[in-house]
Amino acid sequence: MVKKKKDTVEITTVSEPTLIETADYESNLRANLEEIKKYDGVVGYILRNTTSASIDLKDPTKIIDYAILSSTAFDATEEVSDLFKLGRVKNIIVNGKNVRMLSLTVEENKISIFMENNADTKKVLEKLKAS
Amino acid sequence: MDNEVYAYALKNTLDEIQKICPDIKNAFVLTKNRELIARDEDTPEKTITRAVSAFEEMLEKAQAIGGVEDVTIEGINGRLNVSRLDEIYLVTVTSKQADLEYVNTVTHVIVPTVLRLLEKLSPAPLKKNPPTPDIEPEEPAVERDEEPETGWVEEPETDKHQEQLEPTEKSETILPETPVNQLIVEDLKGLLAPSDTVRIDSNIIEEWNELYEDWTIEEADIETFSGKSTRCKVKPIKDAKLDGKGKIQIPSKVQLTLDVKKGELVRVKPAVE
Repeated sequence: MVKKKKDTVEITTVSEPTLIETADYESNLRANLEEIKKYDGVVGYILRNTTSASIDLKDPTKIIDYAILSSTAFDATEEVSDLFKLGRVKNIIVNGKNVRMLSLTVEENKISIFMENNADTKKVLEKLKAS
Repeated sequence: MDNEVYAYALKNTLDEIQKICPDIKNAFVLTKNRELIARDEDTPEKTITRAVSAFEEMLEKAQAIGGVEDVTIEGINGRLNVSRLDEIYLVTVTSKQADLEYVNTVTHVIVPTVLRLLEKLSPAPLKKNPPTPDIEPEEPAVERDEEPETGWVEEPETDKHQEQLEPTEKSETILPETPVNQLIVEDLKGLLAPSDTVRIDSNIIEEWNELYEDWTIEEADIETFSGKSTRCKVKPIKDAKLDGKGKIQIPSKVQLTLDVKKGELVRVKPAVE
């Protein structure tokens, strides 16, 4: 009984700072996404995690199409990565004729940024990694 | 030439590419309809089938962004790239230490060159539309009776072209199909570098000059994958380190016009019309 009580105490003390960190991280990520949205050529983003999703696209008529594309890209990548032993996926870039999609998973968040083909992908990636 | 020969040629190309780029662990070629044409020896067909099925939906949904031109998945142990080259998809898997610029140069130069060569030897079996009559009628009508010794030229096709051309009688200068090269952008700097001239591999210019015997190629059309294009004067690369490596040196002014940067791919074709 004494041991169990001790364990509980330990868990509580550990989980509190983690929650704060996660909240900080989330708000930081969202702030960075808002900033990325202002970059030249960026047309919007989709952010999904286990509990919520945020979609911000300049053209709202594309929301469903882009959301499905983002989701299928993550699914396909998971399988292909296993097949070819690519390891944990750092990022996915899908260059379309009109738009480029950059997707990556950070912690539990699946992020897809949509941009014009001439947008600075590297700059976007760096900003996301800085979250 | 049937699909089998086509596949054999592409398979050999993939094997050769892997010899010069050992960092390419897997390579295979698919049609636009995702049918397997050729694969390297190390990639089991089963793996490819599973990969194609994994990609299937994504490639369909990518219509939302205008259809897939290129996909790159970067993992901590390696990278997978799917490139669309005209009628095919080339898929390569490289190790994490691969020199991507080198890999891209090799794959994006050799494979399209082989594809063009195969198309020249025979109408491409992968293309449903046969070439139009004003493309490749190389043999003048007088030489029609002379049988080619090698049998590489497909007589029935040639005849068809000529029959269709005969009614027009006065045959004007008919140009071969314009070759398109995909090259990697390099900066062209220097005080004396003219701002309206790009430099490309000397062997590409030689190929163009051989193809258009009666023409001197002085200009080329450069097109980006985002659809921007411009016409510039073209000269061979002077720097021996860059020559023959699938590069195009572009002055900064033209780079701005095209909205491209060093390391990006552009399409280049001779301006002949």
